[in-house]
Amino acid sequence: MKVFTFHLMPYADLDMNFMDKHRAAWVVLPNTYYDPKKGHELYNRYLDELELAAELGFDGISVNEHHQNAYGLMPSPVVTAAALARRTKNAKIAILGNAFGLREHPLNVAEEHSMIDNITGGRLITGMVRGIGAEYFSTGNNPAFSHARFQEAHDLVVQAWTRPGPFSFEGKFYHFEYVNMWPRPFQQPHPPIWTPSTGSTETIEWSAHPSRKYTYLQAYSPTQSVARFLNYYRQCAQTMYGYTASSDQIGWSTPVYISDTDEKARAEAKPHIEILFNKLLRLPFEMLFPPGYLSPKSLANMRSHKRSVSGQEHTIDTLIEQGIIVCGSPETVRKQFINTHRLLGFQNLLCLMQFGTLPRDLTERNIRLFASEVLPTLQGLTDKEYVGMEMRAAE
Amino acid sequence: MKRQPNGAYPRESPVAEHGVIDVRGRKLNLRRAGQGAPLLFLHGAQGLADHEPGLDELARHFEVIAPEHPGFGASEVCDHVDDVADLGLFYLDVLDHLKLDAIHVVGQCIGGWVALEMAIHASHRFKTLTLVNSGGLRVKDQPRGDMFVCSEDDLVKMLFTGDAGATWIKRWRATPALEELYDRNRAAAAKYTWSPRLCNPKLDQWLHRVNAPTHIIWGAHNRVIPPAYADALKALIPGATASILADCAHMAHVEKPQAFAEETTQFIRRTAP
Repeated sequence: MKVFTFHLMPYADLDMNFMDKHRAAWVVLPNTYYDPKKGHELYNRYLDELELAAELGFDGISVNEHHQNAYGLMPSPVVTAAALARRTKNAKIAILGNAFGLREHPLNVAEEHSMIDNITGGRLITGMVRGIGAEYFSTGNNPAFSHARFQEAHDLVVQAWTRPGPFSFEGKFYHFEYVNMWPRPFQQPHPPIWTPSTGSTETIEWSAHPSRKYTYLQAYSPTQSVARFLNYYRQCAQTMYGYTASSDQIGWSTPVYISDTDEKARAEAKPHIEILFNKLLRLPFEMLFPPGYLSPKSLANMRSHKRSVSGQEHTIDTLIEQGIIVCGSPETVRKQFINTHRLLGFQNLLCLMQFGTLPRDLTERNIRLFASEVLPTLQGLTDKEYVGMEMRAAE
Repeated sequence: MKRQPNGAYPRESPVAEHGVIDVRGRKLNLRRAGQGAPLLFLHGAQGLADHEPGLDELARHFEVIAPEHPGFGASEVCDHVDDVADLGLFYLDVLDHLKLDAIHVVGQCIGGWVALEMAIHASHRFKTLTLVNSGGLRVKDQPRGDMFVCSEDDLVKMLFTGDAGATWIKRWRATPALEELYDRNRAAAAKYTWSPRLCNPKLDQWLHRVNAPTHIIWGAHNRVIPPAYADALKALIPGATASILADCAHMAHVEKPQAFAEETTQFIRRTAP
């Protein structure tokens, strides 16, 4: 298994009483809540944390894109990825993801990815996302064209990376007379493409397509939903497209916290993880799913699934119980991952080691404990330990 | 159509006759009711509800033809009708299809905007134009309300001044099928109006081309598109008149069905007896 760590880079110094006055930490939260002096410290601290994980043997470190919010301070993950490129030697740098379709000029983002791939000698993983619903308020993009634009931006970028230029591209949303990318990507034919998602049916079906076979990464969700979406990917491959998906195409991302004992881990993580879920991630349904963002079918699915992630007040106990986070002693955490891997067979795991207001010292200890006590075991897990879908169904 | 004592409208609405027409390969759902001169009603961002009291009132004097825009209600999505300018051209096709030469057009919200996009190209297809809380225009320093970001409760408060809003939303929530239609209408409204929100920034430059008798009806408490827009439209459309409805917001045809219909009917009688 490949084990990555990822960072959201939250604005941890936020006045958490903001919810008395504002509906969300997104879109409508005034940026006067942001103090650049504190932001300066946070950015550098967070980059240190990712660099530490790379040093301690994680297979990769990961950043992502969100706009106009306190939940994650990376409107351009390319900036953080570039900052990490020369400070790391072996770890993959995964941008999970960049919302190419939100841009007027996706080629510019593709050029930046290509540069990072060249600088790092091929350590880049490119994540392609539509961006969550709130981004459509923040960027002005029309949610009704979200899927179509995402797919067209993808086609444009992959062509730009693989076809000899110059050539012209005439799409519905994008029109370029001269596509001729300098530099071409270091990796051939192009950096691996991953598709992180919260479980959109269309994204899963699209990613599993035999012409793509992109690694599907399920963002944090209750274990039940993770199982449903990851298995849906495998089912799509099997029944819609007639091939067996490799477990390398399957990934799960979850917050992790480790301390000496289960009780201690729970007590230490509690305030910080509850701030992530109850304050930073709390989004009104209207912002999370603007009209047209989801197909009617996905909207119906999502109503049941998302209620448990962003619609309710969470405690650390409900989060652990539902499997949305993994928290405990090294042994508990190790066992839980081994067990979940046995059932779901993901060969990629992304661990969020800093969340909400988790301070520097606890984050660093979390990373170190994980690296020494859990990481080696997980990196040894292979597809042999996966029971497979049929077996599971029979259990 | 009179309200029942409980505030609801009677189940048997005359504007309930549905018919699907095929417009150049796209299925469009039309409701028709009444007899008289044909009147095209173009609905707004909220689509057509199962009961439309304002249309019932109009149907006492006109043959009301109320299509559901592509992607709304029972009408198919048209992949090549992406914005309101497209809708304007699409409805010129619809008029051709229905063999309607020149008719009365009433448009509320997005529907008014569609009518304006039609009129700047083909005013000769209009006997009269009635704009009700119309979208389409952008007026500097007069922000429009965002119907998409707010909660459902706040949306209803924004659309209505009085109790009619509670009844209206309750009807949409009555069955899962209606709820699904409500979501479908929201998605279609977003497709047409998301950006720039509810306007065509260039429309003001072309409104001098509207060459049809035009009347503007506005809710005094409209917070989606403030009454300043009624003044701006009146100034930009040659010869236009305007009237403001008291105790009324964006959904004038639902909240004040009689006043809406009377204003419209009187204007049409006055102009094209």
